[in-house]
Amino acid sequence: MALDRYEWLGRLAARLPEDCLVVSTYIGAVSFEWAHHTEEHHRSAHLGQMGDVIGLALGLALALPHRRIVCLDGDGSVLMELGQLVAMGEQQPDNLVVFVVDNGAYESIGWSGQGRRPTATAGRVDLAAIAAGCGVPYTVDVTAEDELDAEIDLAFSRSVCSFINVRTRPGHSHVRPRRTDGIEDKYRFVRYVERLEDIWITGVPPQDIALMKTRNP
Amino acid sequence: MTAAALDAAHEGLRAAGIDFVSGLPDGWQRPLHERVELDGDIRYVPVCNEGVGFSICAGAWLGGRKPALIMENSGLRVASEYIARISLGTGVPVTLLCSYRGDVGETEHWGIPHGIVAEPLLEALRIKYLVVRHVENLSKSIVRAKRISEAQLHPAAVLVSGDCVWED
Repeated sequence: MALDRYEWLGRLAARLPEDCLVVSTYIGAVSFEWAHHTEEHHRSAHLGQMGDVIGLALGLALALPHRRIVCLDGDGSVLMELGQLVAMGEQQPDNLVVFVVDNGAYESIGWSGQGRRPTATAGRVDLAAIAAGCGVPYTVDVTAEDELDAEIDLAFSRSVCSFINVRTRPGHSHVRPRRTDGIEDKYRFVRYVERLEDIWITGVPPQDIALMKTRNP
Repeated sequence: MTAAALDAAHEGLRAAGIDFVSGLPDGWQRPLHERVELDGDIRYVPVCNEGVGFSICAGAWLGGRKPALIMENSGLRVASEYIARISLGTGVPVTLLCSYRGDVGETEHWGIPHGIVAEPLLEALRIKYLVVRHVENLSKSIVRAKRISEAQLHPAAVLVSGDCVWED
């Protein structure tokens, strides 16, 4: 039986390693629920994205190979750009774990008496099989509750590039919508990374740093 | 790309502090991809789709790297979806180095639409750009594109053409 999304996101949040970074999917219920479970922790980048979330996470994983990167994406978003899985399979960063919330529906656009608009995973498409075909070292299609905790624990107990597709029931909880936009979310994530890694990403032009060093030897 | 342009482009990337490159090779800039791949100071990530390449570059910037995407200008059309989503939506800088197929001097019929679309598309995406047709301007143009990209937190582009690619 497919899982309840809000409930399994909570299980993932509870098991999330303290020192990891998260790239989360598009604005919408998944983002709201994840932010609710993680109390808006700045380690999660909610950039309002779709079709590029795995690409963003892959770039982050390659930039910070010592840091565990967790990607949280949706089936509609993964299906929008399957070339991301090709790149993931080619690069295979062992610090990247992708979790897909696969509810087989374009949930965020709403529904009518005809029901929800289905994604291709509601039919014959198997994202975990596609990821495996692209060369991702570990892929799994989770369909049962008793499998989920074991897969989360396995993913965080080792360093293997992984793609974990979690079949989820359509429907969402009624947590409060988030108030921030992609720009604010970008800044707070970048500032968090700067503190975590003790690096400079943006904000002070290098010539100004040089100038102040000159005046204050 | 001529041998002199290859050296200039590589020098420009290094002078700009670019340490992360993704891209899809094309006929003109293939030697640059090969050169960058062998550069131990630059992480090179080949892709089969320029949109994915842009996403990867943006993710690398979030992790503190200085990224560039090298591609044919046809790739701008492919990448435009994610340039709009990521950079217009959140403000992430990536330096774009594009072959300017379809520029005056083009010999291939298939390059013509690439030339028609490139500059209007860059304008639509609010991407500032330089068209470089002389090798002596190539290196500093890459440095300047990267500089404004960082200042405006949005991509900036260099379109490579003219004497950089033809020895007619």
